[in-house]
Order: sequence, then structure tokens, then C-alpha cells
Amino acid sequence: MFWRDYLIPRLLQYFLVIFLGITIVFFIPRLAPTNPVERTIAEVRSRGQYLDPAHIKDMVDALTEMYGLSGSWWEQYKDFWVRLSRGDFGVSFFQFPTPVIELIKRALPWTVGLLFTTTVLSWLFGNIVGGMAGYAHSRGWSKLLDFLAMFVRPIPYYVVALGLLILFGYVYRLFPIGGGATIGVRPSWTLAYIKDVLRHAFLPALSMVLLGGASWFQTSKLIVQNVKAEDFVQYAQLGGIRESRIMFRYIIRNAMLPQVTNLALSLGQILSGALITEIVFSYPGLGHLLYSAITTGDYNLIMGIISLSIVAITTLVLIVDLLYPLFDPRIRYK
Amino acid sequence: MSRAREVLVLVLLAMLVFSSVALAQEPTGFPRDQTLIVNMLTGRVGTPSNFNEWVGWRWRDRGMQNLANEPLWSVDFATGQIINGLASGDPVYNEDFTKLTIPLREGVAWSDGVPFTADDVVFTVETILAEPGLASHSAFSAKISKVYKTNDYEVVIELKEPDSRFHTHFLDRWGCTWIMPKHIFENVDDVVSFEFDPFVGTGPYKLHSYDPAGYWTAWEKREDWDKSPTGILFGEPAPKYVLFRTFSDSSAKIIAQLTHQLDVADHDAEGFAAAMAQGGTIRAYQPSYPWVVNNDPCITGITFNTAVAPFDNKEVRWALILAIDIVEYMAQAVDGQATLSPIHIPYLGAYPEYYHEPMQEWLKSFALDLGDGELFYPYDPDAGLRIAEYARQRGHEVSSDPEEIKKTFGIGWFKYAPDVAEKLLLKNGFKKDANGRWLLPDGTPWKITVTDINDTGHHQFKNGNAAVQQWKKFGIDAEYVASDAYTTLQQMGDFQVGAAWPALEPWGAGVDLYRSLDIFFSEYIAPLGEANHGHSSRWSSPEMDDVIKRMRATDPTDIEATVAVCTEALKILIEEMPSVPTYGYSGFLTWDEYYWTNWPGAENPYMGPYGHWGTLKYMLPFLQPTGNK
Repeated sequence: MFWRDYLIPRLLQYFLVIFLGITIVFFIPRLAPTNPVERTIAEVRSRGQYLDPAHIKDMVDALTEMYGLSGSWWEQYKDFWVRLSRGDFGVSFFQFPTPVIELIKRALPWTVGLLFTTTVLSWLFGNIVGGMAGYAHSRGWSKLLDFLAMFVRPIPYYVVALGLLILFGYVYRLFPIGGGATIGVRPSWTLAYIKDVLRHAFLPALSMVLLGGASWFQTSKLIVQNVKAEDFVQYAQLGGIRESRIMFRYIIRNAMLPQVTNLALSLGQILSGALITEIVFSYPGLGHLLYSAITTGDYNLIMGIISLSIVAITTLVLIVDLLYPLFDPRIRYK
Repeated sequence: MSRAREVLVLVLLAMLVFSSVALAQEPTGFPRDQTLIVNMLTGRVGTPSNFNEWVGWRWRDRGMQNLANEPLWSVDFATGQIINGLASGDPVYNEDFTKLTIPLREGVAWSDGVPFTADDVVFTVETILAEPGLASHSAFSAKISKVYKTNDYEVVIELKEPDSRFHTHFLDRWGCTWIMPKHIFENVDDVVSFEFDPFVGTGPYKLHSYDPAGYWTAWEKREDWDKSPTGILFGEPAPKYVLFRTFSDSSAKIIAQLTHQLDVADHDAEGFAAAMAQGGTIRAYQPSYPWVVNNDPCITGITFNTAVAPFDNKEVRWALILAIDIVEYMAQAVDGQATLSPIHIPYLGAYPEYYHEPMQEWLKSFALDLGDGELFYPYDPDAGLRIAEYARQRGHEVSSDPEEIKKTFGIGWFKYAPDVAEKLLLKNGFKKDANGRWLLPDGTPWKITVTDINDTGHHQFKNGNAAVQQWKKFGIDAEYVASDAYTTLQQMGDFQVGAAWPALEPWGAGVDLYRSLDIFFSEYIAPLGEANHGHSSRWSSPEMDDVIKRMRATDPTDIEATVAVCTEALKILIEEMPSVPTYGYSGFLTWDEYYWTNWPGAENPYMGPYGHWGTLKYMLPFLQPTGNK
């Protein structure tokens, strides 16, 4: 039975992983030897705000109540799941009283827009060009691309990003040096605004596609080279099957299998953000939000972002799991 | 055309399409010659739509505290003066400091045109008293018994117990309790969750727009700017718009300034050097070496965790101080670009006249007991001269005028005396192994870990690393651990040595050191493992408590009495050295003179030079446009 033997076990596994993942995320920050209220106060003081030490204790008590941290862990855990069932992650401690979901909603479109696009573009570019280069690995252009990929890929991402920023933001001044859109331009669904957003996203995207594409290229090229050397390919060639058919139906299709899984995992990781990209290009997104949540001990915000990430990764893995038989007939349920 | 060429052409075409408007002037809607662009010190705003400064942290240097808000009073550390903002004069206390009367300025209006009156002040205090979610609630409810107005421009606050410094809650040093516009907040159901967007203030600018992602906030000069205290006191601010923007990466910030997209920028030392090296229209606070802002009212240094052995022993602490060659230390930390101070306040404003100079004789006569009747006098009044000599050797032009040298490099510090340090350690049971490495009294190798900030540009990082190098040279296995969790580690006492402020920053105006010294009161100190609300050294003493209690009871306007009691506290700190003052905070600030000039540089320090302090608004009437478009 497809339902009983294939779908239901996977769905159970899916919900169990999400439940355990979120539970772990709930408890790990609480095991840290710090009180989030005290930590928030320390962070605020370190930013230059003077708090009279004589009254900090009273402030701690008031904030503990307002942050919802006054009960036992078990009570907080129950409240957490009740709130979560309503899509509510509570309020951010450091950005109190802003709801966590508001902060995530504000950053999410930028991260998804940039990372989804660059991940898919890198994947397509790397796999198509890498596949062709792997198939024609003895040709000059293939060797040149391979050399370029070998040259680009080891460069630290920060150096590539900063190099692009200096080259196109300072030397040639073709692109803006930071931000998601031009200062003073109000967000709207107009062509001018969309163009402006794309222009601001271009350098961050280029930096990611360059390195990401080089990585996919190398992997894809190697896989295709290996598949090309398989017996069934040589048999097809000897059988006189057209080259294009061998390349796409025999080689690329087989080579794509691990790449599809990797794509799903890469897409799932989008919700962790791209911290260095956001820093170099002053680009909005979840990476910076998560980093600041960690450094300020903002439990609720950490839980919100990581919970979404857990759901995204497990969901994509489930989808790939369910779709995989379409790509690979060998594991189709019978 | 080959496929590779097609791809190349496609990439170039895409770049041309997306870059087609890039050469247009940025930002849109703000004529550059009428706009001042200031870097935000505290980074990207996490809550861009929330301007409610009475709740939690709100990135107040995005223009609230420095532009659109007027406090009752402000500190100007450049002149050492208190500026009356919404108040028209000093607070008047009754004899036993249980009541203060605040005179308010007439003719001020909120940015939406509603007049500012005593009702706003009374409403603010009453609202804070009623709502535990507001930041000042705990302090106010502990102190205030009653607030009322006597007329539209005078407010009286009655206190539950004597407090001669209660008004400092409203004194903007780098933030304070601001006044709420009653006509807006009285209509709000929940003042804690209220976002206060659009912001309404009494400063000379009103909110124009902001980035929903938190990278910039724009303000526009009010048409009725003359109804703000800034306008009344100093005249019309020059820029029509002021834009605060932030860059997550220091390279982008430098590029922005070099391309005239940023007028005021705070850098780290390396970024400062890089920006200055480009020359052009970039200038620093001082026109020549050491260039930096050296009148910032903060003192940097080293802090020992005195709850942890062997740093609980003051002779060990003093040994570690005498193992420091301050010239090498300053060279490594800031290339000599800062002003030394041997006491726990910086050498600036009123402090040299009232504290540094009068304490010279005491410092010279202060001795350490090395045992067997041998005394050592650690103070070196010529330390500043030695730093000046180092700067000369580095090829910098340094004045030979002793007064100028004092102002630039400081008045003195402590001697480099490794032999004396050795005697102190041997006296306390420490030993050296065959390789000259120091061992603890129990015979195990002595390893010192300095735990502090993970930011190479920060003075805490610089102090901590300079100390590590000096102690290594002395034969101690020392290391610096950079941690993003350093505030928590220090708060809980999970560290040996740190580089947090050796004492809290003083006001920067007047002679009162309450803000710096009260934090050493024993009631604030928590045991290891518990959150500490006192100084991170966790040091206190009955003697210090006694002085602090007397300081609290002293009228801060009584200069003689205040200086006397604060000097006593400073002497105790030097004898005990739970924390070690090294140099005053040096600010790596640059201005771009392409669009605006007449900055308050060292040659004309008419106002605090920073963009993030509250005094920015008072600087703006003095700026002059260059005419560049």
C-alpha cells in the first residue's frame, strides 16, 4: 500500500523531526547560564544607555513578567506550543515589544528574494554549464571553464563580495554600495521600484552566483564525467543513439539525482539568511536578524527564525522524498 | 557568436540595464547640497517603525536624541557646559533635596505645532509612574512621591527621600528620559506597544521618512524651527534634511565617504587611517597628529575580576600594572593617539583643573609597600612626555610646549618597573620557573585570560590586547579571548580580566563624579554566577561605601564639597586598582568637507563633534554649505 508503506511513515517522520527540532531549539537557550532579561539589560547598557544600578533589580522583575519568563520551563514550554499553534512566537526581548513574527516578516521577503533567486540561478547555471563541460571535458572551452571555477571557488566569499563592491561601487560607480533600495524611494509595486530593488540586489546576487555557480559547476562536471564513463552510456553510444539523447536522457538525468537533493537542502537553508552578504552590502535579511538575536540573547527571536528554518528544510526534504520517484524510476513504489 | 560570448554579452547587458540609473544622484528626493548625511553609530535599526523611546532600546542615534528630541538639559563635553533645552534654567532643590522645581522654556512647540507646556512634563512623569513597562518606571516609582505644575512653565517634583541628583534623569549625556507630547500619548490605550510613528518632538527637525529595513532615517527641518530650543538658542540649522544611514561593513562606509555619500563617519582605527590616507575633502577632528577626537568623556582601561584569585589581591594587581610599559602599550593600542589618565576619569573638561592637577602631589607621594620597609613610588608624571617622544620618533610633528603635550598625551601614568612587579609577586608567593615563566603560588603556570569584545576597532579590544602583550613580555602566559558573549561573561563574573570601562563614564560637564563612582557601591555587587549590577570588577569596600554615601548626600552644585569627596573616592580606587585607567576614549571621526564646512574641530571646538550625541542639533546652525551641488 502506497499510503501505509510509503507516505504515512514519511509524514510521521516529518512531524516528529519538526517537533523534536523545535523542542531542542526551545530548551538549548534556556540551558545557557544566562538570564535573557539580565542579558538584554547588559546589552542595552553596553550600547551607552545609563541605567541606575540601584533600580535594575526592579527592572529585571518587571521585564521577566512582561517577557513571559516568570513561570517554570514546563509552563513556558506549554505556552510556547499554544502560541505557536496560532503562528505567534511571542515578542522580541531586545526589540520589545515588537512581535517576533513581525521582525521575521519584515526580513523574510529580502532573504527569500535574494537567496531563492541566487540559489536557483547558481544551480541552473552550474548544472547546465557543468553538465556540458563534463560531457565535453576534453574540449578547450571546458578546460578553460574548469580552470576559472578552480580559480574562483577557493576565494573567500568576503573577498569576492568586497572586490565587487569596490570595483562597481567605488572605481566604476555603476551600482549602489548598500541597502535594498535607494534612500527616499518608497516601496511600491511599480516598475521603477522593482528595477531599483533589482539594481540594489545585483551585486549581492552576482557575488553569490559567482561562487555558488562555480561550486555547482565543479560538482556537476565531475558527476557527468563519471556517469559518462558508465557501461550503459558506452552501450548506448555503441547502439548508435543520438548524442543529444545520450547526453540529456542518459547522462544528465542520472547526474541530476544528487543535485536535486542538494538543491532542496540548499533551498531549505535559505531561511538561515546570508550573513556576510548582508554585512558587506548592507542588505536587509534574516542573517543579520538571527546574528543580532544570538548576540543579544533574544530567545524568542532565535526560536522563531530557527523554527521556520527547521520547517522549511524538513518540508523540502519531504517534497523531494515524495517527488524522487519521478526523477528516479528505480525507487518508484511498486 | 559562440555560447561563451553569448553568456558574456548577457551578463554585461544585465549589468547595463540594472546600472542605468545608478549614476543618478543618491539619495532620491534629498538635494545633496541641502542634506547632511550622518553615520549611525549603533547600526541597523531593528524596529524601524517604532519611535517609542520610553520602552526598551530604540536605536536613539537614528535622529531622535541627536536631532528631533530636546531634553530638559544637555551635556556638552566640548565646552564642559550644561545646555538648557526645554528647561530655561537649572533645577532648584529645596534645602533637604526632597523637592525640585524645574523652570521651563516658553515659546517652544512640538513639531506638529502644539505648544509645549508644563502639562507635558507632568504627564510624562505620571505616565512613567503608572506603567511598569516603561524604562524609567523603577527609578521613578522608587523616588517620586508627587509631580505637579505651579503654572504652565514650572513643574515641581517631590521626592520620597533626599536626592540631590534626581534631575540627572532628564540630563541628556548620551540619552535620558525625554518628555512625551501629552496631546498624543493621552489618547493611546497601551503606551508600551504604541509605536509613536510618526515621531513628534520639540527638536528643530521632523520625521521625513525611514527605511522599513532599518538602514536609514530621514528628517526634515521644521518650518517653525524657531519654536525649538535649538532655534531659540542657536538660530536656524543649515541643512534642510538630515539623513542617518548605517553600513554593516566598514569598507562600504569608507567608500561612501570617499564618494561624498556620507558627511560624518565614525571609524575604527584602521578605517580612519584608510579614509584619511585618501586625503581630498576628508578631515579629522584635529588638523594634525594625533587627529582623533580626544575630548570624549570616557576613560578606557583594564578591569580585574577581583572576585577571582589572584586578582583579589591588590598587590598582584599593582604588580601587573608595573609590568606595563605604557609607551609600548599606547603604541600598540592606538599608535599614541590618545590622552593618558592615571585616575579613573579622562583628562578633559573641568577634570584636570579640579582633579588631575590637584592630585599630582598625592600621586607623587603615593607609595607601595614592597616589604621590609621598602617603599616604591609608582607614579610617573612624565609619562605623557614619553608618549610625545614616541610620536616624534614616528615622524609626527609634536609641539614642545608642555601644556600642549599634557592636553594631547596626558599628564602622567605609572612607571614601567618590572623589577618592582617581580618583588611584589615574590612577596605574595609567586615563583618563576627555569625558563623565566611566572608560576602561581601553588606552583602551577600562571595563565591570564583577558576576555572582552570581538571587535578589533573597539578600545576594549585594543586595551585588552595591549595588556596581553605587556604581560607576555613580563613572563606570564597571557591571551586575549574575543567573545560575542563578553557582556554576559562579565556580568556573571565568568572572566579573569576584561577591558570594560574602568569606571563608568562621567557626565563630561561639571565636577560631579557620582555617575562614575556610585557603581562601586557594595549593594550592587553580586556573587560570582549571579548577574552583577555594579562595576564588573566586583570590587567594593566599606571605606568606599562610606565615601559613596557621603557623596550621595553632597550637593553637586557645591563644587568644593563635591571635589573633596570625589577625590577621596578616586584615591581609594588608585590604592586598590580594581580597574586600571589607561587613556581617554579617542574617537576616530572624519568629516567630509565637500558639501559642508565649519565643523567643530579642535581648532574651534564650539560643540561636541559627534553625530550620535545629542549635541548634533546644536552644531547644525553653525555648519556652512560649500555650494557644491
